[in-house]
Amino acid sequence: MKCFMLPGQPLFRSPRLPQDDDWQQIVALCRSHALFDPESGEWFAPDGTDNVALQIYGVAMSLYGARLLKKSGVTPGIVAEHSMGIYPALALCGSLPEEAALEITSRGGRVMARMGISRRYGLGCVVGLTLEPLLALAKNHGVYLANQNTDRHFLLSGEELAMEAAMAEALLAGAFSARTFPCDAPLHTPLLGEMERELREIFSDYRYRDPVVPLMNHIDQSCLSGGDLAEFMYRELLLPVQWEGTYRALRGAGATLFLEVGGGDSLKKYNRWIDSQFKGNDSP
Amino acid sequence: MSEELIEPVKQLIIDALRIEGMTSADIDTDAPLFGEGLGLDSIDALQLVVAMEKEYGVVVPDAATGSKVFQSVRTMAAHIAENRK
Repeated sequence: MKCFMLPGQPLFRSPRLPQDDDWQQIVALCRSHALFDPESGEWFAPDGTDNVALQIYGVAMSLYGARLLKKSGVTPGIVAEHSMGIYPALALCGSLPEEAALEITSRGGRVMARMGISRRYGLGCVVGLTLEPLLALAKNHGVYLANQNTDRHFLLSGEELAMEAAMAEALLAGAFSARTFPCDAPLHTPLLGEMERELREIFSDYRYRDPVVPLMNHIDQSCLSGGDLAEFMYRELLLPVQWEGTYRALRGAGATLFLEVGGGDSLKKYNRWIDSQFKGNDSP
Repeated sequence: MSEELIEPVKQLIIDALRIEGMTSADIDTDAPLFGEGLGLDSIDALQLVVAMEKEYGVVVPDAATGSKVFQSVRTMAAHIAENRK
């Protein structure tokens, strides 16, 4: 069974963008519904930020990838999403139109970005430590686990200065790599509860159809129905992404071929790592 | 001595990272592994650390050593030649 995996926000924008009509159509939808042009980098909303631009770019690339796969007759038996990958996943599963997926990304992103006006936040990407010391150092510095991608690949989220200190401690503790990336808001932490009213208002503005393909969520690995979606989209912003558990559950559900739909190949690499850890043992 | 490890290291990279459609001849011995060269990232690097340890018993003890070892295929081969058991 084929699984389409929708990645979250990329850390960088590729310098090479697609050139064809499908991409131009996606760009037009970005301009009209997300108020951002992913080709020129121009915002048509006064509160747009570089981070939200990356989020929209990521969703646009996933929508474009999904179009290409559909045109070539490749269809998923199951769909999985990582973080903001939920938005293009909803379009891919028929729960929302493409333009609504872009609009919700932009609206939600700009609301969250308000948190970054008075405080500076950062994401900390840690490779090589195991979960236990990672959680200990996160607690020491008052930052949060945002992604458990594998047993050695994690993302922390919190205030930028605290994150820089946490990354320095991670390196001292033996992390192979520990880097801080600036962000507007502390994604996947309870701190986002500060924007609860505004975010819930946005997510409840849309009518979600039941996914036409099973859509596995990254929190508890159950499949989402249309009625679950508004609540899930708020809740997932406050809780860590459990990718390793999701990948294992997908394998358990019968997925054998995994296609990453969007820019980059991080999810494929996490899967490769998880597979390598289980080689010779029971399948994940 | 590390010269004889160049080809096996290229193959180790291809196998550990499951790079499809690439042979060892496609990998430049002195090109950077990260960024402009093979385009690897920290996820790949950890996979290579584990593969090197499994294949040659050679460890990369910390991030600072890793940044030197993973400059190119040649630096990986040199690290293995100096530290293999």
